[in-house]
Amino acid sequence: MRKNKIIKKGFEIKIDNKSAVPIYEQIKRGIKLMIISGHLKNGDPILSIRELASKLKVNPNTIIKVYYQLEAEGYISSKPGSMYVVDIDKERVKKEKHSFFKRETQEYIAKIVSMGYTPDEAIEEIKKYLTDKKREEGT
Amino acid sequence: MIKIENLSFSYGKKPIFENFNLEVKDNETLLITGINGVGKSTLLRLMAGVLLPDKGSILIDSKPVSESKKRIGFISDKMSLYNDMTVDSLIKFHKNIYGLESFYGSLIKHTKIKYDQKVGKLSVGQRAILHLSLILSQSPDILLIDEVLPNIDAYLRELFLNELLKVISEKEITLVLVNLNFYDIENLVDRVVLLKDGKIMVDEPIEYLKDRVKKIVCEKIPGKLPVIYRQRVGNLDEIFVYPFDDNKEEGDFEVIDLDLTEIIKAFIGGEYVN
Repeated sequence: MRKNKIIKKGFEIKIDNKSAVPIYEQIKRGIKLMIISGHLKNGDPILSIRELASKLKVNPNTIIKVYYQLEAEGYISSKPGSMYVVDIDKERVKKEKHSFFKRETQEYIAKIVSMGYTPDEAIEEIKKYLTDKKREEGT
Repeated sequence: MIKIENLSFSYGKKPIFENFNLEVKDNETLLITGINGVGKSTLLRLMAGVLLPDKGSILIDSKPVSESKKRIGFISDKMSLYNDMTVDSLIKFHKNIYGLESFYGSLIKHTKIKYDQKVGKLSVGQRAILHLSLILSQSPDILLIDEVLPNIDAYLRELFLNELLKVISEKEITLVLVNLNFYDIENLVDRVVLLKDGKIMVDEPIEYLKDRVKKIVCEKIPGKLPVIYRQRVGNLDEIFVYPFDDNKEEGDFEVIDLDLTEIIKAFIGGEYVN
């Protein structure tokens, strides 16, 4: 998103044309994730509407909608010269990050439970996984 | 805004459109599709003023097409581009007619098009790129593009589409596309119009279609669904449903989301089978 900035794998914006989630919603989620994960920090400039449209090969109207909504939801703000910067305070990032964590956990637990495991078994498995991983990294 | 009102058009005795109506808003990207021979290209040629309606009107901001020709860029692979001219003289020729301010020379830079080459000797793809660069030099605010992309190689196709994207990002342009390769342009399109027998069968925003056209895989087709097309795969039925309401329908089946190519294939397949 930001010029000359390396985005860690898994945090780049990916568009899935086979998803029923509208394209603007997918892009919006992608940018939010970059902000709450700290890839984009308060005050960081983000790509212009034209640049992001070209990069993702989507209609600029779609990006206009995304930026408009992100601005309304308090993630970014527009600056003179059609520039956009991240505009969000630390507390908000912390809050959004926590609700992301909660959502992911709920999803994981729901999946595991639907396979027939109990939440306690899931916790045991996570602990075991982390101990094994630490040991592997230690050697 | 392009406003088509009570349009009738026929080739000889064969009517293509009768009392046809369509509006295209400013800055909108519209895809027109339908089975072969339904009149998609004819409609585009009427909008471009290349063909004239028998009855009815086509207005661009309340003015007839004939008075708005400078605002319209029309690209079609069926159009002859003066095959005996060299590229260089064609560009000069266009400059004299349209008074071009700046030629989009950068676009033909890496296409192996040579300025002293005869236009007729260019490949289909090179011609499309040359045509696009000439049209863009006119700085139109309405671009009508007939199915030019299927015959172009992947590199030139991307060049073409990237330029299109750049142009619609830089200024407000109304874009009407006919049956381009859907995969390439999927995320450029705002609205889809599907023609059938000279009428509009579907006219919806792309987001609505993606939400409401679904593939359903099942052993036994649930009775009351609005099926537009079905196919049998092994001992399973695949049915394409529109409009599908996620909140209303329940049953023992799998619902699969579709991309634009599959959505249009379902509608068009239904045309052939039903």
